Amino acid sequence: MAIINQATKELQVKVVYYGPAMGGKTTNLVQVHDHVQTAQGNKGKLVSLATSSDRTLFFDFLPIEAMTIKGFKTKFQLYTVPGQVIYNTTRQLVLRGVDGIVFVADSQYEKMPENVESFQNMMDNLNALKMNAAEIPYVLQYNKRDLPNAAPVEYMEFLLNNRETQVPSFTATAHKCEGVFETLNMITRLLLHKYINQSQGAPQPA
Amino acid sequence: MATLPQLIEEDIQTLNAVLRDFLAQTDATTALVIDKGGFLITHEGEANDFDLTTIGALASGAFMANQTIAGLVNEPNFSSIHQQGENFSLFVCNVDSESLLVVIFGCHVGVVKYFTAAAIKKIADQLEVARKRAPGQGVDLSQLNIANTKDVFRKREE
Repeated sequence: MAIINQATKELQVKVVYYGPAMGGKTTNLVQVHDHVQTAQGNKGKLVSLATSSDRTLFFDFLPIEAMTIKGFKTKFQLYTVPGQVIYNTTRQLVLRGVDGIVFVADSQYEKMPENVESFQNMMDNLNALKMNAAEIPYVLQYNKRDLPNAAPVEYMEFLLNNRETQVPSFTATAHKCEGVFETLNMITRLLLHKYINQSQGAPQPA
Repeated sequence: MATLPQLIEEDIQTLNAVLRDFLAQTDATTALVIDKGGFLITHEGEANDFDLTTIGALASGAFMANQTIAGLVNEPNFSSIHQQGENFSLFVCNVDSESLLVVIFGCHVGVVKYFTAAAIKKIADQLEVARKRAPGQGVDLSQLNIANTKDVFRKREE
């Protein structure tokens, strides 16, 4: 859950990139780190706790400060989870305190079962953490659109976004930085709207 | 809907005073209060040489991983972790259900452990005060300009 520090006028929020193994979660963070335009000192180091073969072992972490929000410094902490099925306990640890989620799906046809399984696993883990999945904003990113065996977007929408309330979805080719910032800005928008609505709905002191 | 945890100036001043006292008592280098989700809440002591935001995220991950191990060996509580180094050591201690105290120190761990108990009680008390405060008090998120969020994060021109 986000933290508001009135003393320093800071809002800290945690965004987790979730999805199947090798889907491009870490690539999203690398591209944000490499290409984001920030004032000096507003971008932290990208920390990767990875195996020797560059597979995420625990999480990747990128602290970053938004640049155009007046009044409050809004600090984003971007995390990825390890995608492999065996690391579920680790995924639960990283999800703790999450404010918003980017679900990175792999567009290749043969990855559809993994996409669906990972999405269900995300919902199960949120429930296990006693978090109401309906109250956690999330967006979908259909990554690897440049591959020849990419499934049609409509099919992925049918598989992953076929609910009463549809969430925003984006096509992406993360390694070329296409769709990466569009996705990040959308989850940012959903989060800020949520918190403003919460604060306006809260009773004010007498 | 859950209310936002929020800290006002009084909370931060109290927490900082507790940390300053703690550092004076122990001769530790830096003390941080962090949220178990990885957020840095506040800190005192040396900050220029350390990336405290990242230390907070990693310390919370390490602590929570140890808590999970505790569960696997049927131990109800690993309340702290200690990493001994040559120049600096690290001590991470549970404060309450939501937060942790992280201490970076070059002194003897016994001193740190001894004074930690009193410090975490004071920190926990103040965080409880913050949590019980009327929701919405002091919040003015209307200052946030979200008319156009598509440029919150911009891709740098190459």
